[in-house]
Amino acid sequence: MRWLMGFVCVGVLLAFVGQAQILRIAFDAADLKTLDPHYAAATMDRAVVDMLFNGLVRYRPGDITVFEPDLAESWEVSTDGLTWTFHLRRGVQVHPFPGAPEGYELTSEDVVFSLHKAADKDRSAYAGEYVGMRFEAVDPYTVRIILDKALSPSLFLPKVADYAGGFIVPKGPYEALGPRFATNPVGTGPFQFAEYVPTQKVRLVRNDRYFRGAPLLAGVEVWYVPDVTARLSALVTGEVHMIEGVREQAWVEAVKRMSGVVVDVFGPGETEVLHLNMSKDPVSDLRVRQAIAYALSREEVITAIGPDVAEPLCAAVPPYLAGGLACAEVAEKGLLYETNLELARNLLAAAGYPNGFEISAYITERASYRKPFENVQAQLARVGIRLNITVVDHSSFHTLIRQDVNPLVHYEAWRPSADAFLTRFYHSASIVVTGAKPDTNFSHVTAVDGLIEAARYELDPARQAELWKEAQVKLLEELASYPLYVLKFVFARSEKVDYGYELKSSLALYPQVTELTRLK
Amino acid sequence: MRSRRVRAFLRNRTAVAGAVLAAAVILAALVAPAVAPHDPLIQDVYNMLAPPGGPHPLGTDDLGRDVLSRILYGARVSITVGVFSVLIGTGMGALVGLMAGYFGGPLELGMMRVVDILMSFPVLVMGLMFMAILGTGMDKLIVAIGLVLTPQIARLAHGAVVALREMEYITAARAAGAGPWRILRRHVLPNVAGEILVMATLWMATAIRVEANLSFIGLGVSPPTPTWGNMIREGVRWLVVTPWLSVFPGLAILIAVLGFNMVGDGLRDAMDPKLL
Amino acid sequence: MVRYTVRRLLVAFPTLLAVYTLVFLFVRVAPGDPAVAALGDYASAEAVQALRERMGLTAPLWIQYGRTLAGYLRDLGRSLITDVPVGQQVATALPHTLELTFAGIVIGAILGIPTGILTAVRRNRLPDYMGRTLALVGLSIPAFYLGILLILGFAVRLRWFPVMGAGPFSDVSANLRHLALPALTLGIIMTSFVTRMTRSCLLNVLREDYVRTGRAKGLRERTVVYLHALRNALIPVVSVLGIQAAVLIGDSVMTEIVFSRPGLGRLMVQAMMQRDYIALQGLIVIYGALVVLVNLLTDLSYGLIDPRVRYE
Repeated sequence: MRWLMGFVCVGVLLAFVGQAQILRIAFDAADLKTLDPHYAAATMDRAVVDMLFNGLVRYRPGDITVFEPDLAESWEVSTDGLTWTFHLRRGVQVHPFPGAPEGYELTSEDVVFSLHKAADKDRSAYAGEYVGMRFEAVDPYTVRIILDKALSPSLFLPKVADYAGGFIVPKGPYEALGPRFATNPVGTGPFQFAEYVPTQKVRLVRNDRYFRGAPLLAGVEVWYVPDVTARLSALVTGEVHMIEGVREQAWVEAVKRMSGVVVDVFGPGETEVLHLNMSKDPVSDLRVRQAIAYALSREEVITAIGPDVAEPLCAAVPPYLAGGLACAEVAEKGLLYETNLELARNLLAAAGYPNGFEISAYITERASYRKPFENVQAQLARVGIRLNITVVDHSSFHTLIRQDVNPLVHYEAWRPSADAFLTRFYHSASIVVTGAKPDTNFSHVTAVDGLIEAARYELDPARQAELWKEAQVKLLEELASYPLYVLKFVFARSEKVDYGYELKSSLALYPQVTELTRLK
Repeated sequence: MRSRRVRAFLRNRTAVAGAVLAAAVILAALVAPAVAPHDPLIQDVYNMLAPPGGPHPLGTDDLGRDVLSRILYGARVSITVGVFSVLIGTGMGALVGLMAGYFGGPLELGMMRVVDILMSFPVLVMGLMFMAILGTGMDKLIVAIGLVLTPQIARLAHGAVVALREMEYITAARAAGAGPWRILRRHVLPNVAGEILVMATLWMATAIRVEANLSFIGLGVSPPTPTWGNMIREGVRWLVVTPWLSVFPGLAILIAVLGFNMVGDGLRDAMDPKLL
Repeated sequence: MVRYTVRRLLVAFPTLLAVYTLVFLFVRVAPGDPAVAALGDYASAEAVQALRERMGLTAPLWIQYGRTLAGYLRDLGRSLITDVPVGQQVATALPHTLELTFAGIVIGAILGIPTGILTAVRRNRLPDYMGRTLALVGLSIPAFYLGILLILGFAVRLRWFPVMGAGPFSDVSANLRHLALPALTLGIIMTSFVTRMTRSCLLNVLREDYVRTGRAKGLRERTVVYLHALRNALIPVVSVLGIQAAVLIGDSVMTEIVFSRPGLGRLMVQAMMQRDYIALQGLIVIYGALVVLVNLLTDLSYGLIDPRVRYE
């Protein structure tokens, strides 16, 4: 009887899929936050925004190491490196919106508007990335960006690529919709917004006039399902085609064994780093920080998450970015701090804590932070460091750590460049509460300001990478942080889903749905 | 009188069975360190999500900790939270209810108005609100659940006092010059004590359930302390892979809540034999 | 009766206003910040501050209070995170919650009243013990755990029912399939309440004089129980159904979370997690209003069953 029902279900499903190619994705979220690309920060929002908007240039789908044309057909930079000129593609149509049922052709006016919006702190969360830039429309199809100080392409192009502030928000619909734009986004991408049902889903439909050609899918539905069991059941029963999974190896392995399901584990993933607060006793003592480092076993934390999902991270910048430092290089410099409990206890004794000490820290209830932190807690206990953990909700956690209450901060992050990683976590201006522009320097380290600034305006890529690496070595000597691992993304999909491009296992921020994605 | 009630309670098979269950949970809480096969905090990441059997009778969790030991230690949290939150709730509730009922007038009106407002929230919603304000942790959880229980007990105590206050013996005592506290203590309290005891037992069950709910949402006791709600919450991520991680601690909650509910029922029946 | 209703509703207003004010003050005392919640880990302090100003969180408290109250009267306020009117969110979520609660009550009444009668009539015999024990178990099991067990059995293992979200109201069969497990969760809990209440009320009534008289007159036991006693016993049962409807609203929060249903409870927990002050204030007041309404309906329903009840 059950078999029969199963057959009927599959039959209905096949018939359904055959005619209407609607791709359904379920994300690990209770609801969307915003679909304004200049605010979107969470994975599920970025993934939707990506289908709706374009940048001037784009990361090649499935491989973020290569930039290719998007809204701009071509671009050039002046010899002094100060002026970037972008030549726009002709005939790009903005999606229809109230007031323009046919949309309109995107021009330089929209691009300049969008860049100004991205640079305005009242209309963008990424304004800081666009300081010291001017934007000009030379003619309807030419945009010029003038910098105060020259930047290398690896630092400049991400600002105009299809990520965060680089997404081009057309002027017409943004002004027509006002604050409603955040839940009624209008862009130029392969799919256009159709409907938002709070705490349930967002429905997108095909943009037939997409400049790379009409998408193969008729539409995409993004569902918000915070419970992983519900998501997995929905995938198995065919209610959805793709789900966000649990970023742990045991889950990946269990789901891989299910028939008809493919599991994608892909990077670059987010860095998981333990920041050591140098302004709080006893962590302010270098010997105590060394004791912490020698007490910890990176390998053990990684085992708890699973080696396929968590790759070791030994320095502040992950090795896949220009200027990143691989574990082998760190080992060469003798800065791995390989686990040595004896040495850790001696260092603690030398620092005046022969019996260890007690510290308290907040952590969020989210498993990807809480679980490794609980493991760190158990590891530190072995040398007498008693870490008391208080679990709070995610937003309280972010508020509290920015008020500098934690001696140890576990932070999960992705940043587009070595400069962003180093500036935001290790430049003195970014020190929480007291910095000139308080950000996420939880350790209060000040030793690498010069190196970060020198590297930022260095135009020779090799020299630039050297400076970044030098900064990281210094950070490891100071032990401003103990890098743990890079956590990859885990998505499971029906084997019917064909992305339309090769998802390189190393470099994508979310599984992208493009005009070539289809259901087989 | 008293022994008759005790006998009535003992005749009630459900109540006795409940008492056994509740006693088992309390015992587990008391002797957990002696009987637990492992340290509930020791992680063994090389042996995560082990199935039940062998050295780990109920398997291990996603950090390689022994589930049975964590359930035994979890009883400590449930019992502690239950006892103290009920003490707080009953104490404050009885105080508010008795005072309002005895003194009457605007004080009664004001106090019971507030009680009514608070009662208009579902218990869990109120618990969530208090946790959001107080923050997480065992002490805060106790206060939050205690506060949730307060208005319920207050209304009960108030109702009882209102029924009693016009009775002749109270009037007589007042005429004889007894002060309000004396009357409350000597005459009113003993009359409502039975009912409050029944409520307290039933609320013990509710408190354990609310604790589990709040922990399940992620606003309960902080790690590494094992609690049943936390264990289910962490286990739910693995429901498809290793369902026992959620199922076993859930059974523990069920046993504890059921036990106290059965005892409460039995007590109530013993107080009011005609319902038997 | 109309005057009674109007008066009860009028009294409810200051209560709800007090609730609103309390929640307004409470959420602002709690740690956490909607701007941080909205922007996530990437945002700098500058961006957070800018958003806080835009959200109106930097204004003096009494101005914020005035603004939010005015917004509340317009469209229940607007979510700080998505700027969607809370009224609109409620309009999409409330039907799912009401549907779930209603289904729970119906299941509870259908299963609970006969079980209750059975246990009362067969008092202290096997059906009574079984019914009472099961009722106690149903009363003791946390809703979320029951939900998890049902998911494990009927969705993960048997794959009979979907567990993601709620079916659209336009598609009756999909809607019911999505409703089945959550409704069963609440229904089982409700059944336990109703069973116990029906039993004890019926036992009470069976001791009344008129029942004894009926028996003495030689009426058949069946006639006594079903024609005379049951009707009077049902009054308190209805009142319990009403009170429990309020409790069910609480249990429905957990059920919605476990089953990822887009109902009021999930909206509220989400608002709390995001520190979406405005949405939270609005939603908690909606909850309060629901409870007031359920209580009123309960009181009014006494009159339908028992004409002696007068509303003054």
